[in-house]
Amino acid sequence: MSETEFLEQVRLNQGIIYKLVGLYANDTEEKKDLYQEIMLQAWKGWPSFRREAKFSTWLYRICLNTILTQKRKPQPVTYKDSLENISPIVQNRVVENEDAVRLRRAIRQLPETDRAIISMNIDGYENSEIAAMLGISNNHVAVKLHRIKQHLGNLLTA
Amino acid sequence: MSIKNTWDEINESQDDDLTSLLNTSRLSGISSRNPLEKIRKNLLLNMILGVLICLVYVVVIFYFQIWQVQLCTVLVLLFSVWALYTAWLQYKNINSTVSANSPVLDELKRHYRSINNWMNTQQRVALFFYPVSAMGGFMLGGVSESGKSVADFMSKPMVWVALIVALAILVPACWYLTRWMFKYSFGKHLRSLKENIDALETAF
Repeated sequence: MSETEFLEQVRLNQGIIYKLVGLYANDTEEKKDLYQEIMLQAWKGWPSFRREAKFSTWLYRICLNTILTQKRKPQPVTYKDSLENISPIVQNRVVENEDAVRLRRAIRQLPETDRAIISMNIDGYENSEIAAMLGISNNHVAVKLHRIKQHLGNLLTA
Repeated sequence: MSIKNTWDEINESQDDDLTSLLNTSRLSGISSRNPLEKIRKNLLLNMILGVLICLVYVVVIFYFQIWQVQLCTVLVLLFSVWALYTAWLQYKNINSTVSANSPVLDELKRHYRSINNWMNTQQRVALFFYPVSAMGGFMLGGVSESGKSVADFMSKPMVWVALIVALAILVPACWYLTRWMFKYSFGKHLRSLKENIDALETAF
């Protein structure tokens, strides 16, 4: 499996990395650091990638394991009202609409593990898949999801 | 617009900062910033310095023909060799590659355990070092400055009191300094790992 093939797979699934890094990084520098670390860990793990699993699921797990075990800067607690100034991490992106910015902002206000759970849920993963990826029970995921959705709903309507 | 649609829109968006990082030439040049990788590098550096320090101890043992200083230095040398051995074992056992096959909770626990093990071992090793090296340094300094033999220098009760006071102050001070340095370097990260472990393990 060549480096070119690996990069091609990453390119096809890079939305996963962008999105997850965007939910956890607190500034542009940290965003780049996390991205590079994910790329490195994915590259190191690439020889062990079993093709019976989907590359996107494999990459998702690498992303979460890397981001959550990485030493990161504390999240700033100041909340900006202006959409233009919400966060440096949305700079250099194709302009997102107001709903997307609001959703990203709301998810970023959730605790770190809740961000992982809700992002997997919205990405269409079943509760059993989320449970397997996180290492917790299905019931646990269901209870957490119920609470997270309530919390997210409150944040979006606030 | 539903949350799913909005989310998919984020998914499709591009990021110029990151897209520029995705190419073959960059991939080979990336160095890891994983905390466990930093600890591995730190252990390697410690081992290299440890070997050099052991060589200095050997020189001291042959250069200063004072049996008390030689005894302390031999003890410190033995502890250093033991510390080098434990550092080597830890270096071999720390796996800094993030697993794609382990669940997030297991991976968080592995990182938390590895960092704690490293810190605890370093603190235990340090506790053996401080008293012996402080004693050796005290005697060596006293003998060099006074020009007396160790037996003459240590014959006065005041010198023993000074030694005990120095040990009583230096040993806890160094131990707390070590703890503080670990806390400064890894405290926030360990708290964050623990919070995430607890959050995943509890339903609410």
